[in-house]
Amino acid sequence: MPTDEEIALKAQSGDTESFGELVGRYEAKLLRYARKFLLEPDDAQDLVQDIFIKAYENLRSFDATRRFSPWIYRIAHNEFVNELKKRQTRKTVFTIDFDTMFPNLQAPERADTAALERDSREMMEKHLEKVDPKYREPLVLYYIEGMDYREIAEILHIPVSTVGVRLSRARGILQKMAGDKTIYG
Amino acid sequence: MDELNKNLKQAVLDAIKKDGVKMRPRWHFLLLAILTATGALILLLTLVYLFSLVVFFLHQNGTWFAPSFGMRGWFDLLRGIPIYLLLLLAVFAIVLDTLVRRYSFGYRRPLLTSLGAIVAVVFIGGFAVAHTSLHHALDFQARHGHLPPPLGMWYGHHRAPPGDVYRGVIVASTTYGFMIALDDDGGTSTVIITPQTRLPFGADFSPGDTLIIVGDDMGTDTVRAFGIREIDPE
Repeated sequence: MPTDEEIALKAQSGDTESFGELVGRYEAKLLRYARKFLLEPDDAQDLVQDIFIKAYENLRSFDATRRFSPWIYRIAHNEFVNELKKRQTRKTVFTIDFDTMFPNLQAPERADTAALERDSREMMEKHLEKVDPKYREPLVLYYIEGMDYREIAEILHIPVSTVGVRLSRARGILQKMAGDKTIYG
Repeated sequence: MDELNKNLKQAVLDAIKKDGVKMRPRWHFLLLAILTATGALILLLTLVYLFSLVVFFLHQNGTWFAPSFGMRGWFDLLRGIPIYLLLLLAVFAIVLDTLVRRYSFGYRRPLLTSLGAIVAVVFIGGFAVAHTSLHHALDFQARHGHLPPPLGMWYGHHRAPPGDVYRGVIVASTTYGFMIALDDDGGTSTVIITPQTRLPFGADFSPGDTLIIVGDDMGTDTVRAFGIREIDPE
């Protein structure tokens, strides 16, 4: 089975069907990302369609020696942040970000049992809508999209250590909402 | 869901095939990258130039040397810094950092690290440029009205030292000090040395020496010196 990068390479030479293959591989993931991050938007389908159109227009900027997944998720991230800005006309989204300002000690990624992770995920999904977008996004990418810190850092264009800080704060927020029940991950 | 997905994929492919969505050529991204890198380089060189200009001005009006007289000298130095140039430096540094953070070597590091690296390069480059003859040559051109604005205006406005700092050349010795010809307006002042006058590099002054004096204006072109030191006329 060809990798995403091999298919992207073929699509870069103008093979539209190959691009269709990539759309097939990522549409469900990006729809899920849109629904969780933007909290069930009515226009998730249109947003994801726009992401694929932008990805197609900019496909030749993709370096096939790197991974395709963070590249397309980065386009999705930009699209979703713009959408949030449109929705929140008074509130500003992602203003001065003190998390990215200072060097942070990198929190290690934790490997927990499937049962613990399932509990944490359920609790997270239940309270996700109350979490600020800045912390909601790494939660969605880590717990729902199953990405590691490095991939999340590439998508959000922040240092890896900042991903750890944001996830740790997000867990703290969720824990408070869930009445101090521990969030694993 | 499958139906929805099928529609989504079809809609994307239709937009590409029927609505004429085109893939941008590779040169477009190459050009964009070259323009961004060139913009970043121009910004960095501008920052180095502006910082060296600040250092040059402070040397010229003498406030650079004032901290050797203690806390009062430090305040004089702060007052002598052209604030609008500092603001311009801060704005350019933030714009440059924003450009740098588009690249992975920028955004993978904390903001303070990338900004700190820019500040370090600007400091080292700025001090190096300030020690060349560039600003002296431009200053000479500005004095003869050969520089267009804002360069001409910049060089012209910063020759006068601020507040209680005086820069000049000894023209004659007096009973309690000496008489100096001031660099900024060509006038002369009498400098009085008291037992309290700070002389961090000694008191071996003679006519022709270029001096920096921090002191109080006593009126009638007389200055009671708080601190005096000799400097290199350049």
